[in-house]
Amino acid sequence: MLWYKAWLETRARFVASLSTLTLFCGLFVHHAVGMMRPEWKADFNRLLYITQEFMAIMWILSAVLLGMGGIVHEKTVGTSSFTLSFPVSRTRLQVIRLGVGLLEAVILGVVPWMVICAISWGAQMPIRVTHVGLYPWLLVSGGLVYYAMAVLVSSLVEGEYSAPAIAIGLVFLSTIILDSWFRRLDVWRFATGDFYIDKKTFELAGDFPWLGTLVCTGAATLMLVASTRAVQCRDF
Amino acid sequence: MNEGLAIETNVLTKQYGQVRAVNQLSLRVPREQITAFLGRNGAGKSTTIKMLLAITSPSSGTGWVLGKIIRDASQNREMRRDVAYVVEDKQVYSYMTVEQMIRFARSFYADWQNEKESRLLKQFQLPLRQKVKALSKGMRTKLALLLALARQPQLLILDEPSEGLDPVSIEELLQEIINAASSGVTVFFSSHQISEVERIADRVCIIDHGHLRVDTSLDAIRREYRRITLSFDGNAPPISPSFPGVQQIKTSGRQIALLARESADAVVELARDMHPTSVEVTPVDLREVFLETVKES
Repeated sequence: MLWYKAWLETRARFVASLSTLTLFCGLFVHHAVGMMRPEWKADFNRLLYITQEFMAIMWILSAVLLGMGGIVHEKTVGTSSFTLSFPVSRTRLQVIRLGVGLLEAVILGVVPWMVICAISWGAQMPIRVTHVGLYPWLLVSGGLVYYAMAVLVSSLVEGEYSAPAIAIGLVFLSTIILDSWFRRLDVWRFATGDFYIDKKTFELAGDFPWLGTLVCTGAATLMLVASTRAVQCRDF
Repeated sequence: MNEGLAIETNVLTKQYGQVRAVNQLSLRVPREQITAFLGRNGAGKSTTIKMLLAITSPSSGTGWVLGKIIRDASQNREMRRDVAYVVEDKQVYSYMTVEQMIRFARSFYADWQNEKESRLLKQFQLPLRQKVKALSKGMRTKLALLLALARQPQLLILDEPSEGLDPVSIEELLQEIINAASSGVTVFFSSHQISEVERIADRVCIIDHGHLRVDTSLDAIRREYRRITLSFDGNAPPISPSFPGVQQIKTSGRQIALLARESADAVVELARDMHPTSVEVTPVDLREVFLETVKES
Protein backbone atom coordinates (compact mmCIF):
# COMPACT_ATOMS: atom_id res chain seq x y z
CA MET A 1 0.00 0.00 0.00
CA LEU A 2 2.98 2.33 0.20
CA TRP A 3 2.97 2.31 -3.61
CA TYR A 4 -0.65 3.35 -3.51
CA LYS A 5 0.12 6.18 -1.08
CA ALA A 6 3.02 7.43 -3.25
CA TRP A 7 0.77 7.29 -6.31
CA LEU A 8 -2.07 9.20 -4.63
CA GLU A 9 0.42 11.76 -3.37
CA THR A 10 1.85 12.49 -6.84
CA ARG A 11 -1.18 11.68 -8.99
CA ALA A 12 -2.36 15.24 -9.55
CA ARG A 13 1.12 16.51 -10.49
CA PHE A 14 1.75 13.53 -12.74
CA VAL A 15 -1.57 13.71 -14.61
CA ALA A 16 -1.26 17.49 -15.08
CA SER A 17 2.31 17.13 -16.42
CA LEU A 18 1.43 14.21 -18.69
CA SER A 19 -1.60 16.01 -20.11
CA THR A 20 0.36 19.18 -20.80
CA LEU A 21 3.29 17.38 -22.41
CA THR A 22 1.11 15.08 -24.51
CA LEU A 23 -1.16 17.88 -25.66
CA PHE A 24 1.80 20.03 -26.58
CA CYS A 25 3.50 17.25 -28.56
CA GLY A 26 0.26 16.16 -30.18
CA LEU A 27 -0.61 19.66 -31.40
CA PHE A 28 2.94 20.46 -32.47
CA VAL A 29 3.32 17.40 -34.59
CA HIS A 30 -0.27 17.44 -35.86
CA HIS A 31 0.50 20.74 -37.54
CA ALA A 32 3.80 19.46 -38.86
CA VAL A 33 3.00 16.04 -40.33
CA GLY A 34 2.63 17.57 -43.78
CA MET A 35 6.32 18.40 -43.67
CA MET A 36 7.30 14.75 -43.70
CA ARG A 37 8.23 14.36 -47.32
CA PRO A 38 11.44 12.79 -48.61
CA GLU A 39 12.78 16.09 -49.89
CA TRP A 40 12.08 17.80 -46.54
CA LYS A 41 13.63 15.10 -44.38
CA ALA A 42 16.17 17.37 -42.68
CA ASP A 43 13.49 20.00 -41.98
CA PHE A 44 11.26 17.41 -40.35
CA ASN A 45 14.12 16.01 -38.35
CA ARG A 46 14.93 19.54 -37.23
CA LEU A 47 11.31 19.93 -36.13
CA LEU A 48 11.59 16.75 -34.07
CA TYR A 49 14.78 18.09 -32.51
CA ILE A 50 13.01 21.36 -31.63
CA THR A 51 10.13 19.33 -30.16
CA GLN A 52 12.68 17.52 -28.01
CA GLU A 53 14.15 20.82 -26.78
CA PHE A 54 10.74 22.20 -25.81
CA MET A 55 9.78 18.90 -24.27
CA ALA A 56 13.02 18.79 -22.26
CA ILE A 57 12.15 22.11 -20.59
CA MET A 58 8.68 20.91 -19.61
CA TRP A 59 9.82 17.39 -18.70
CA ILE A 60 12.55 18.68 -16.37
CA LEU A 61 10.15 21.08 -14.63
CA SER A 62 7.66 18.21 -14.27
CA ALA A 63 10.37 15.88 -12.93
CA VAL A 64 11.40 18.50 -10.38
CA LEU A 65 7.77 18.75 -9.23
CA LEU A 66 7.53 14.94 -9.04
CA GLY A 67 10.71 14.91 -6.95
CA MET A 68 9.04 17.10 -4.34
CA GLY A 69 7.17 15.55 -1.42
CA GLY A 70 8.29 12.66 0.74
CA ILE A 71 8.71 12.42 4.46
CA VAL A 72 10.47 15.78 4.93
CA HIS A 73 7.60 17.52 3.19
CA GLU A 74 5.25 15.54 5.42
CA LYS A 75 6.95 17.16 8.39
CA THR A 76 5.84 20.53 7.02
CA VAL A 77 2.23 19.42 6.63
CA GLY A 78 2.23 17.54 9.95
CA THR A 79 1.86 13.91 8.83
CA SER A 80 5.46 12.68 9.26
CA SER A 81 4.91 11.32 12.80
CA PHE A 82 1.81 9.45 11.62
CA THR A 83 3.71 7.90 8.70
CA LEU A 84 6.74 6.97 10.80
CA SER A 85 4.58 5.28 13.42
CA PHE A 86 3.80 2.47 10.95
CA PRO A 87 6.01 -0.64 11.11
CA VAL A 88 7.98 0.36 8.03
CA SER A 89 11.62 1.40 7.69
CA ARG A 90 12.49 4.86 6.41
CA THR A 91 14.55 3.26 3.66
CA ARG A 92 11.52 1.37 2.37
CA LEU A 93 9.39 4.51 2.50
CA GLN A 94 11.98 6.42 0.49
CA VAL A 95 12.71 3.63 -2.00
CA ILE A 96 9.03 3.15 -2.81
CA ARG A 97 8.55 6.86 -3.23
CA LEU A 98 11.54 6.96 -5.59
CA GLY A 99 10.28 3.92 -7.49
CA VAL A 100 6.92 5.54 -8.16
CA GLY A 101 8.56 8.87 -9.07
CA LEU A 102 11.00 7.21 -11.49
CA LEU A 103 8.23 5.24 -13.16
CA GLU A 104 6.19 8.41 -13.60
CA ALA A 105 9.25 10.24 -14.98
CA VAL A 106 9.85 7.48 -17.53
CA ILE A 107 6.19 7.56 -18.60
CA LEU A 108 6.39 11.35 -18.97
CA GLY A 109 9.39 10.93 -21.27
CA VAL A 110 8.01 8.08 -23.36
CA VAL A 111 4.27 8.74 -23.76
CA PRO A 112 4.56 12.09 -25.61
CA TRP A 113 6.88 10.49 -28.16
CA MET A 114 4.45 7.59 -28.52
CA VAL A 115 1.75 10.16 -29.22
CA ILE A 116 3.96 11.75 -31.87
CA CYS A 117 4.48 8.34 -33.50
CA ALA A 118 0.75 7.61 -33.30
CA ILE A 119 -0.23 10.92 -34.91
CA SER A 120 2.23 10.50 -37.75
CA TRP A 121 1.02 6.94 -38.22
CA GLY A 122 -2.58 8.22 -38.32
CA ALA A 123 -1.56 10.73 -40.97
CA GLN A 124 -0.09 7.78 -42.93
CA MET A 125 3.39 9.22 -42.70
CA PRO A 126 4.74 7.07 -39.88
CA ILE A 127 7.86 8.06 -37.98
CA ARG A 128 9.98 5.06 -37.17
CA VAL A 129 10.56 4.37 -33.50
CA THR A 130 14.21 3.70 -34.30
CA HIS A 131 14.37 7.23 -35.65
CA VAL A 132 13.06 9.06 -32.55
CA GLY A 133 13.78 6.44 -29.87
CA LEU A 134 17.00 8.24 -29.03
CA TYR A 135 15.10 11.29 -27.76
CA PRO A 136 13.10 9.77 -24.89
CA TRP A 137 16.18 7.71 -23.99
CA LEU A 138 18.37 10.82 -23.66
CA LEU A 139 15.59 12.84 -22.05
CA VAL A 140 14.93 10.28 -19.32
CA SER A 141 18.51 9.18 -18.63
CA GLY A 142 19.87 12.76 -18.61
CA GLY A 143 16.81 14.24 -16.97
CA LEU A 144 17.07 11.78 -14.08
CA VAL A 145 19.95 13.92 -12.82
CA TYR A 146 17.48 16.78 -12.36
CA TYR A 147 14.89 14.46 -10.80
CA ALA A 148 17.51 13.14 -8.35
CA MET A 149 18.61 16.70 -7.59
CA ALA A 150 15.01 17.61 -6.76
CA VAL A 151 14.61 14.51 -4.54
CA LEU A 152 17.84 15.38 -2.70
CA VAL A 153 16.69 18.96 -2.12
CA SER A 154 13.29 17.77 -0.90
CA SER A 155 15.06 15.39 1.53
CA LEU A 156 17.16 18.19 2.98
CA VAL A 157 14.98 21.29 2.86
CA GLU A 158 11.72 21.72 4.76
CA GLY A 159 8.97 24.06 3.70
CA GLU A 160 6.10 23.87 1.28
CA TYR A 161 7.57 26.39 -1.17
CA SER A 162 11.25 26.65 -0.30
CA ALA A 163 12.13 23.12 -1.50
CA PRO A 164 10.65 23.51 -5.04
CA ALA A 165 12.03 27.06 -5.30
CA ILE A 166 15.55 25.88 -4.40
CA ALA A 167 15.30 22.83 -6.69
CA ILE A 168 14.21 24.88 -9.71
CA GLY A 169 16.90 27.46 -8.91
CA LEU A 170 19.51 24.69 -8.81
CA VAL A 171 18.36 23.33 -12.18
CA PHE A 172 18.91 26.71 -13.83
CA LEU A 173 22.12 27.46 -11.93
CA SER A 174 23.71 24.09 -12.65
CA THR A 175 22.78 24.39 -16.34
CA ILE A 176 24.30 27.87 -16.61
CA ILE A 177 27.49 26.87 -14.76
CA LEU A 178 28.00 23.61 -16.66
CA ASP A 179 27.24 25.23 -20.01
CA SER A 180 29.67 28.07 -19.35
CA TRP A 181 32.63 26.24 -17.86
CA PHE A 182 32.16 22.47 -18.11
CA ARG A 183 30.33 22.04 -21.37
CA ARG A 184 31.24 18.33 -21.71
CA LEU A 185 29.31 17.74 -18.48
CA ASP A 186 26.27 19.80 -19.46
CA VAL A 187 23.33 17.52 -18.66
CA TRP A 188 20.90 19.82 -20.44
CA ARG A 189 22.74 19.41 -23.76
CA PHE A 190 22.87 15.65 -23.14
CA ALA A 191 19.14 15.42 -22.44
CA THR A 192 18.12 17.40 -25.52
CA GLY A 193 20.45 15.36 -27.74
CA ASP A 194 22.57 18.40 -28.66
CA PHE A 195 25.82 16.42 -28.18
CA TYR A 196 24.79 13.57 -30.46
CA ILE A 197 22.76 15.09 -33.28
CA ASP A 198 24.30 16.04 -36.58
CA LYS A 199 23.18 19.65 -37.13
CA LYS A 200 22.82 19.15 -40.89
CA THR A 201 20.76 15.96 -41.01
CA PHE A 202 19.44 16.18 -37.41
CA GLU A 203 20.05 12.46 -37.00
CA LEU A 204 22.28 10.56 -34.60
CA ALA A 205 25.93 11.17 -35.41
CA GLY A 206 28.36 8.53 -34.28
CA ASP A 207 27.88 5.79 -31.70
CA PHE A 208 24.98 5.45 -29.30
CA PRO A 209 25.76 7.52 -26.16
CA TRP A 210 26.18 4.65 -23.69
CA LEU A 211 28.92 6.39 -21.70
CA GLY A 212 26.90 9.60 -21.22
CA THR A 213 23.92 7.51 -20.16
CA LEU A 214 26.05 5.65 -17.65
CA VAL A 215 27.54 8.84 -16.20
CA CYS A 216 24.12 10.53 -15.87
CA THR A 217 22.40 7.54 -14.26
CA GLY A 218 25.42 7.08 -11.99
CA ALA A 219 25.23 10.70 -10.82
CA ALA A 220 21.46 10.38 -10.32
CA THR A 221 21.90 7.16 -8.32
CA LEU A 222 24.47 8.81 -6.04
CA MET A 223 22.10 11.69 -5.30
CA LEU A 224 19.19 9.30 -4.65
CA VAL A 225 21.33 7.24 -2.25
CA ALA A 226 22.38 10.46 -0.48
CA SER A 227 18.72 11.50 -0.16
CA THR A 228 17.85 8.12 1.39
CA ARG A 229 20.72 8.47 3.85
CA ALA A 230 19.58 12.01 4.73
CA VAL A 231 16.07 10.74 5.51
CA GLN A 232 17.44 7.88 7.64
CA CYS A 233 19.48 10.24 9.83
CA ARG A 234 16.91 12.98 10.27
CA ASP A 235 14.78 13.77 13.33
CA PHE A 236 11.07 14.35 12.70
CA MET B 1 13.95 -4.35 30.96
CA ASN B 2 11.26 -5.18 33.50
CA GLU B 3 8.68 -7.54 31.95
CA GLY B 4 5.85 -5.85 33.84
CA LEU B 5 6.52 -2.57 32.10
CA ALA B 6 5.22 -1.51 28.71
CA ILE B 7 7.58 1.47 28.58
CA GLU B 8 10.84 1.94 30.41
CA THR B 9 13.43 4.63 29.78
CA ASN B 10 16.87 4.96 31.27
CA VAL B 11 18.26 8.52 31.53
CA LEU B 12 16.80 9.29 28.13
CA THR B 13 17.96 12.70 26.90
CA LYS B 14 17.28 14.82 23.84
CA GLN B 15 19.33 17.91 23.19
CA TYR B 16 18.50 20.48 20.49
CA GLY B 17 21.51 22.79 20.35
CA GLN B 18 21.75 24.40 23.79
CA VAL B 19 18.26 23.27 24.81
CA ARG B 20 17.61 19.98 26.60
CA ALA B 21 14.08 19.07 25.57
CA VAL B 22 14.22 15.85 27.60
CA ASN B 23 16.69 15.56 30.44
CA GLN B 24 17.77 12.17 31.80
CA LEU B 25 14.22 10.85 31.85
CA SER B 26 13.72 7.54 33.61
CA LEU B 27 10.12 6.64 33.02
CA ARG B 28 8.24 3.48 33.94
CA VAL B 29 4.83 2.72 32.48
CA PRO B 30 3.22 -0.50 33.75
CA ARG B 31 1.38 -2.83 31.38
CA GLU B 32 -2.42 -2.93 31.18
CA GLN B 33 -2.87 0.37 32.98
CA ILE B 34 -3.81 3.87 31.89
CA THR B 35 -0.91 6.25 32.48
CA ALA B 36 -1.30 9.98 31.95
CA PHE B 37 1.69 12.02 30.87
CA LEU B 38 1.29 15.61 32.03
CA GLY B 39 3.35 18.70 31.47
CA ARG B 40 3.19 22.25 30.24
CA ASN B 41 3.60 23.11 26.56
CA GLY B 42 7.22 22.42 25.61
CA ALA B 43 7.85 20.28 28.69
CA GLY B 44 9.13 17.41 26.55
CA LYS B 45 6.07 15.14 26.30
CA SER B 46 5.87 14.89 22.51
CA THR B 47 9.66 14.62 22.18
CA THR B 48 9.64 11.71 24.64
CA ILE B 49 6.91 9.93 22.69
CA LYS B 50 8.76 10.53 19.40
CA MET B 51 11.94 9.05 20.87
CA LEU B 52 10.02 5.96 21.99
CA LEU B 53 8.82 5.42 18.42
CA ALA B 54 12.18 6.29 16.75
CA ILE B 55 10.67 9.31 15.05
CA THR B 56 13.38 11.31 16.82
CA SER B 57 16.66 9.78 17.96
CA PRO B 58 17.80 10.25 21.58
CA SER B 59 20.98 12.24 22.24
CA SER B 60 21.84 9.80 25.03
CA GLY B 61 20.24 7.18 27.24
CA THR B 62 17.96 4.46 26.02
CA GLY B 63 14.59 2.85 26.54
CA TRP B 64 12.42 -0.19 25.92
CA VAL B 65 8.88 -0.38 24.60
CA LEU B 66 7.11 -3.74 24.91
CA GLY B 67 10.50 -5.30 25.60
CA LYS B 68 12.10 -3.95 22.41
CA ILE B 69 15.00 -1.56 22.62
CA ILE B 70 14.07 1.76 21.03
CA ARG B 71 17.51 2.58 19.62
CA ASP B 72 17.64 -0.57 17.51
CA ALA B 73 15.94 0.24 14.18
CA SER B 74 14.72 -3.27 13.44
CA GLN B 75 13.50 -3.93 17.01
CA ASN B 76 11.74 -0.57 16.99
CA ARG B 77 10.04 -1.42 13.70
CA GLU B 78 8.88 -4.76 15.14
CA MET B 79 7.60 -3.00 18.24
CA ARG B 80 5.56 -0.54 16.15
CA ARG B 81 3.45 -3.48 14.92
CA ASP B 82 1.98 -3.61 18.42
CA VAL B 83 1.79 0.11 19.11
CA ALA B 84 -0.84 2.55 17.94
CA TYR B 85 0.00 6.24 18.06
CA VAL B 86 -2.44 9.11 17.74
CA VAL B 87 -0.35 12.19 16.96
CA GLU B 88 -0.84 15.57 18.56
CA ASP B 89 -2.42 17.51 15.69
CA LYS B 90 -4.24 14.45 14.23
CA GLN B 91 -2.99 15.19 10.72
CA VAL B 92 -3.50 12.35 8.27
CA TYR B 93 -3.12 12.32 4.49
CA SER B 94 -5.30 15.11 3.13
CA TYR B 95 -5.28 13.65 -0.41
CA MET B 96 -6.95 10.39 0.67
CA THR B 97 -10.59 9.70 1.40
CA VAL B 98 -11.61 8.20 4.73
CA GLU B 99 -12.03 4.84 3.01
CA GLN B 100 -8.57 5.00 1.39
CA MET B 101 -7.06 5.99 4.71
CA ILE B 102 -8.59 2.97 6.44
CA ARG B 103 -7.53 0.64 3.61
CA PHE B 104 -4.00 2.02 3.78
CA ALA B 105 -3.66 1.58 7.57
CA ARG B 106 -5.29 -1.87 7.50
CA SER B 107 -2.65 -3.17 5.09
CA PHE B 108 0.06 -2.99 7.79
CA TYR B 109 -1.69 -5.13 10.41
CA ALA B 110 -2.64 -8.76 9.99
CA ASP B 111 -4.88 -8.68 13.07
CA TRP B 112 -6.94 -5.67 12.01
CA GLN B 113 -10.36 -5.79 13.68
CA ASN B 114 -12.98 -5.37 10.96
CA GLU B 115 -15.82 -5.50 13.46
CA LYS B 116 -14.30 -2.78 15.57
CA GLU B 117 -13.69 -0.72 12.43
CA SER B 118 -17.37 -1.00 11.45
CA ARG B 119 -18.55 -0.21 14.96
CA LEU B 120 -16.34 2.88 15.26
CA LEU B 121 -17.26 4.06 11.76
CA LYS B 122 -20.90 3.96 12.77
CA GLN B 123 -20.30 5.47 16.19
CA PHE B 124 -18.12 8.31 14.89
CA GLN B 125 -20.32 8.84 11.81
CA LEU B 126 -17.31 9.13 9.53
CA PRO B 127 -18.16 9.68 5.84
CA LEU B 128 -16.23 7.02 3.92
CA ARG B 129 -16.16 8.81 0.58
CA GLN B 130 -15.12 12.20 1.91
CA LYS B 131 -11.57 13.47 1.45
CA VAL B 132 -9.65 13.87 4.68
CA LYS B 133 -8.90 17.51 3.85
CA ALA B 134 -12.64 18.22 3.97
CA LEU B 135 -13.02 16.81 7.50
CA SER B 136 -13.25 19.04 10.57
CA LYS B 137 -10.54 18.70 13.22
CA GLY B 138 -12.94 16.74 15.42
CA MET B 139 -13.70 14.30 12.61
CA ARG B 140 -9.99 13.95 11.85
CA THR B 141 -9.39 13.11 15.49
CA LYS B 142 -12.09 10.44 15.31
CA LEU B 143 -10.53 9.00 12.17
CA ALA B 144 -7.11 8.90 13.85
CA LEU B 145 -8.68 7.13 16.83
CA LEU B 146 -10.40 4.61 14.60
CA LEU B 147 -7.10 3.84 12.84
CA ALA B 148 -5.41 3.38 16.21
CA LEU B 149 -8.08 1.30 17.92
CA ALA B 150 -9.04 -1.00 15.05
CA ARG B 151 -5.54 -2.46 14.85
CA GLN B 152 -5.86 -3.99 18.33
CA PRO B 153 -2.56 -2.71 19.72
CA GLN B 154 -0.83 -3.85 22.89
CA LEU B 155 0.11 -0.24 23.60
CA LEU B 156 -1.93 2.82 22.70
CA ILE B 157 -0.07 6.13 22.78
CA LEU B 158 -2.24 9.21 22.51
CA ASP B 159 -0.84 12.73 22.31
CA GLU B 160 -3.53 15.11 23.56
CA PRO B 161 -6.35 12.99 22.16
CA SER B 162 -9.30 15.13 23.24
CA GLU B 163 -8.00 18.35 21.73
CA GLY B 164 -10.55 19.73 19.28
CA LEU B 165 -13.35 17.38 20.29
CA ASP B 166 -16.81 18.43 21.45
CA PRO B 167 -18.00 17.25 24.90
CA VAL B 168 -20.00 14.31 23.48
CA SER B 169 -17.01 13.12 21.46
CA ILE B 170 -14.72 13.51 24.48
CA GLU B 171 -17.09 11.28 26.42
CA GLU B 172 -16.99 8.68 23.64
CA LEU B 173 -13.20 8.92 23.50
CA LEU B 174 -12.77 8.40 27.24
CA GLN B 175 -15.10 5.43 27.11
CA GLU B 176 -13.09 3.92 24.24
CA ILE B 177 -9.88 4.38 26.23
CA ILE B 178 -11.42 2.68 29.26
CA ASN B 179 -12.74 -0.15 27.05
CA ALA B 180 -9.31 -0.59 25.47
CA ALA B 181 -7.62 -0.72 28.87
CA SER B 182 -10.15 -3.21 30.18
CA SER B 183 -9.34 -5.52 27.27
CA GLY B 184 -5.66 -5.51 28.24
CA VAL B 185 -4.32 -2.61 26.20
CA THR B 186 -1.76 -0.38 27.91
CA VAL B 187 -2.67 3.28 27.43
CA PHE B 188 -0.12 6.08 27.67
CA PHE B 189 -1.58 9.49 26.95
CA SER B 190 -0.58 13.10 27.26
CA SER B 191 -3.20 15.67 28.08
CA HIS B 192 -3.77 19.17 29.40
CA GLN B 193 -7.24 18.24 30.63
CA ILE B 194 -6.70 17.34 34.28
CA SER B 195 -10.35 16.44 34.78
CA GLU B 196 -10.09 13.76 32.07
CA VAL B 197 -6.93 12.40 33.62
CA GLU B 198 -8.57 12.19 37.04
CA ARG B 199 -11.47 10.29 35.52
CA ILE B 200 -9.59 7.58 33.67
CA ALA B 201 -5.92 7.37 34.66
CA ASP B 202 -4.42 4.79 37.01
CA ARG B 203 -1.04 6.49 37.08
CA VAL B 204 0.30 9.98 36.48
CA CYS B 205 3.72 11.11 35.30
CA ILE B 206 4.46 14.84 35.38
CA ILE B 207 7.33 16.15 33.30
CA ASP B 208 8.68 19.67 33.44
CA HIS B 209 11.58 21.18 31.51
CA GLY B 210 12.46 17.67 30.38
CA HIS B 211 12.70 16.29 33.96
CA LEU B 212 10.33 13.73 35.41
CA ARG B 213 8.89 15.41 38.53
CA VAL B 214 6.14 13.03 39.58
CA ASP B 215 5.61 9.35 38.82
CA THR B 216 2.91 7.85 40.98
CA SER B 217 -0.57 6.41 40.99
CA LEU B 218 -3.63 8.62 41.15
CA ASP B 219 -4.66 6.81 44.34
CA ALA B 220 -1.31 7.66 45.90
CA ILE B 221 -1.82 11.33 45.06
CA ARG B 222 -5.24 11.27 46.73
CA ARG B 223 -3.86 9.35 49.70
CA GLU B 224 -0.46 10.94 50.25
CA TYR B 225 -0.58 14.59 49.26
CA ARG B 226 -1.87 17.10 51.80
CA ARG B 227 -2.02 20.87 51.97
CA ILE B 228 -1.09 22.08 55.49
CA THR B 229 -1.95 25.67 56.22
CA LEU B 230 -0.38 27.26 59.29
CA SER B 231 -1.86 30.54 60.56
CA PHE B 232 -0.06 32.90 62.95
CA ASP B 233 -1.03 35.93 65.04
CA GLY B 234 1.57 38.13 63.44
CA ASN B 235 3.66 37.75 60.34
CA ALA B 236 4.60 34.16 59.60
CA PRO B 237 8.03 33.22 60.95
CA PRO B 238 10.83 32.26 58.58
CA ILE B 239 10.86 28.61 57.63
CA SER B 240 13.65 26.45 56.34
CA PRO B 241 13.24 25.74 52.60
CA SER B 242 14.27 22.15 53.30
CA PHE B 243 11.52 21.48 55.82
CA PRO B 244 11.45 17.65 56.11
CA GLY B 245 8.65 15.88 54.23
CA VAL B 246 7.56 19.05 52.47
CA GLN B 247 7.61 19.39 48.72
CA GLN B 248 6.69 23.04 48.50
CA ILE B 249 6.43 26.03 50.87
CA LYS B 250 4.56 29.27 50.26
CA THR B 251 4.61 32.12 52.80
CA SER B 252 2.04 34.87 52.53
CA GLY B 253 1.45 37.42 55.34
CA ARG B 254 0.27 35.52 58.41
CA GLN B 255 0.07 32.17 56.69
CA ILE B 256 2.40 29.44 55.59
CA ALA B 257 1.10 26.84 53.15
CA LEU B 258 2.98 23.55 52.93
CA LEU B 259 2.51 20.83 50.36
CA ALA B 260 3.39 17.61 52.12
CA ARG B 261 3.82 14.19 50.61
CA GLU B 262 3.52 10.89 52.48
CA SER B 263 4.27 12.29 55.93
CA ALA B 264 1.57 14.89 56.61
CA ASP B 265 1.20 13.86 60.27
CA ALA B 266 4.93 14.18 60.92
CA VAL B 267 4.99 17.55 59.18
CA VAL B 268 2.10 18.76 61.33
CA GLU B 269 3.97 17.65 64.45
CA LEU B 270 7.08 19.53 63.37
CA ALA B 271 5.05 22.57 62.36
CA ARG B 272 3.48 22.79 65.82
CA ASP B 273 6.94 23.73 67.14
CA MET B 274 6.48 27.02 65.28
CA HIS B 275 3.44 27.74 67.53
CA PRO B 276 0.83 28.51 64.89
CA THR B 277 -2.60 29.64 66.06
CA SER B 278 -4.22 27.10 63.80
CA VAL B 279 -3.23 24.17 61.59
CA GLU B 280 -5.49 23.09 58.77
CA VAL B 281 -4.88 19.88 56.79
CA THR B 282 -6.78 19.47 53.52
CA PRO B 283 -6.57 16.90 50.73
CA VAL B 284 -5.00 17.94 47.45
CA ASP B 285 -6.33 17.13 43.99
CA LEU B 286 -4.30 16.39 40.86
CA ARG B 287 -4.74 19.91 39.51
CA GLU B 288 -3.04 21.35 42.60
CA VAL B 289 -0.24 18.80 42.54
CA PHE B 290 0.33 19.53 38.85
CA LEU B 291 0.30 23.30 39.27
CA GLU B 292 2.58 23.20 42.29
CA THR B 293 4.96 20.81 40.57
CA VAL B 294 5.38 22.85 37.43
CA LYS B 295 5.35 26.21 39.27
CA GLU B 296 7.93 25.00 41.70
CA SER B 297 10.48 24.28 38.99
